[in-house]
Amino acid sequence: MADVPEPGTRAEDLLRDLAPQVLGALTRRYGHFGLAEDAVQEALLAAASQWPADGIPASPRGWLITVAARRLTDLLRAEQARRHREKAAAQQVPADHWLAAGADVPPAAADDTLVLLFLCCHPALSPASQVALTLRAVGGLTTAEIARAFLVPEATMTRRITRAKQAIADGGAEFTMPQPGERAARLAAVVQVIYLIFTEGYASTSGPSLLRPDLCAEAIRLARMLRALLPGDAEVTGLLALLLLTDARRPARTGPGGLPVPMAEQDRGKWDAPRIAEGTALVTEALRRGPPGPYQVQAAIAALHDEAATAEETDWPQILALYEVLMQASDNPVVALNHAVAAAMVHGPRVGLDLLDNVGADQRIAAGHRLHTVRANLLEMAGERDAARDAYRRAAELTASPPHQRYLNARAARLAGQAS
Amino acid sequence: MKYMILVYASQRDYDAMVGKPAPGEPGWTGADFAAMGQFMEQFSSDLAESGELVDTQGLTAPSQARRIRLAGGTPAVTDGPYAEAEEVLAGYWIVECDSLDRATGIASRLSNTPGPEHVRARAYADVRPLAESRHELDG
Repeated sequence: MADVPEPGTRAEDLLRDLAPQVLGALTRRYGHFGLAEDAVQEALLAAASQWPADGIPASPRGWLITVAARRLTDLLRAEQARRHREKAAAQQVPADHWLAAGADVPPAAADDTLVLLFLCCHPALSPASQVALTLRAVGGLTTAEIARAFLVPEATMTRRITRAKQAIADGGAEFTMPQPGERAARLAAVVQVIYLIFTEGYASTSGPSLLRPDLCAEAIRLARMLRALLPGDAEVTGLLALLLLTDARRPARTGPGGLPVPMAEQDRGKWDAPRIAEGTALVTEALRRGPPGPYQVQAAIAALHDEAATAEETDWPQILALYEVLMQASDNPVVALNHAVAAAMVHGPRVGLDLLDNVGADQRIAAGHRLHTVRANLLEMAGERDAARDAYRRAAELTASPPHQRYLNARAARLAGQAS
Repeated sequence: MKYMILVYASQRDYDAMVGKPAPGEPGWTGADFAAMGQFMEQFSSDLAESGELVDTQGLTAPSQARRIRLAGGTPAVTDGPYAEAEEVLAGYWIVECDSLDRATGIASRLSNTPGPEHVRARAYADVRPLAESRHELDG
């Protein structure tokens, strides 16, 4: 199938998996997260060019740590020389600090990866910086690859990552696990960053994207990594389930010409059954553990959609109940919009339209096309063709995406044709 | 040197492209639209791959534009300031390459952009060298 990513070579996969472990080990031993990150990138590049020719070394992790540590020493010397030149010798890091953590009892590589995730999603950074740094330091992507994925020039992404590393250094963040008291909030940030990486990929999948690394696949890989580190965390499990259950519908969500296909009209035969099975099992497991967090509830909603053999068989009463749970947990207007749709499917379009009037009072959503698209759908359901047509046209004017405009104008034209 | 490659379209062109053609005008089919999107994506990808792409953006329909000008000494804002058939900037690429001829060669590839024949017949692209900054002049 065309949209399954090309499997990387064995050496590439191995390098991507080892990247956070090597960076974790180096940072734990020497500190200097920013420079260590540069050193690891260079070691990864060296491996990528040498391993395919010379063969994979007996201890790939040891090889990478040795090469990266050598490079870091060079970088630290250069940094020190620079500081001498700037007569800022007083700020030097004492040499004994370099060996702060004992090398005799190496901490588990898994813990290092987790600490690294917490560091990349540090609250001092903007979400965009957290995403970029996570993809580079934990995901092992190059700056050029990340720049392409977000369609920004490489120089822009380089600046963003450099500033992010500087902010972490300025904030004096330590390479240690967050304190128990702040751990929940920090983990929520990590989960949010992985979700953002996924939605960036999911929102942009239109047409052939030859150069964009698959951000959805990358987010799923990171979510799997996080779950392997924290198998007992129900929200992490909920996140992985949500990503799998959403990604499962991807093959069916765009039609010929890259036009979006609404869920009710998708060819469910194209949905990825193994992903649905895996996601459903995960969310079932997570929900058994007690009061569910928002990712688990969203995963449960996705599972109900995915399990319906036809759009008509969708369990809307159950979905409506879950949206009510989500509504209590947040005042997100997109949740309110989906809640109105679910209410319309259970109690009829009039009930949904009444709820939309309240949603429309929220300025965060009133200016966008989504509210008008949903209103148009519900008006069409209610048989109010002229009003539905106007709402589709209004939605088309409000979206900046040409494929969406084509879709919405086609819906409007179809209603105009029926009316005359 | 940096060069800007510019392409143009009117509100009427935008409407036709997104499935809302003016009465009596032929519209774009789904296949036309898909082929154009695929071509543009490939064009930009090739430039990124060759290292010549600095930036590229597409602009939304001219009806979304606002114009600001002084009216009686104070700034006044006009929504959708263009006439229906007026051609305005629709998108651009900034490329960095050795010469105006090379940039011209890049822009010439845009003449292969698929689309309805009547649109292809009157489409054009301009290439304009970017001005160097004062800083570089002083250097």
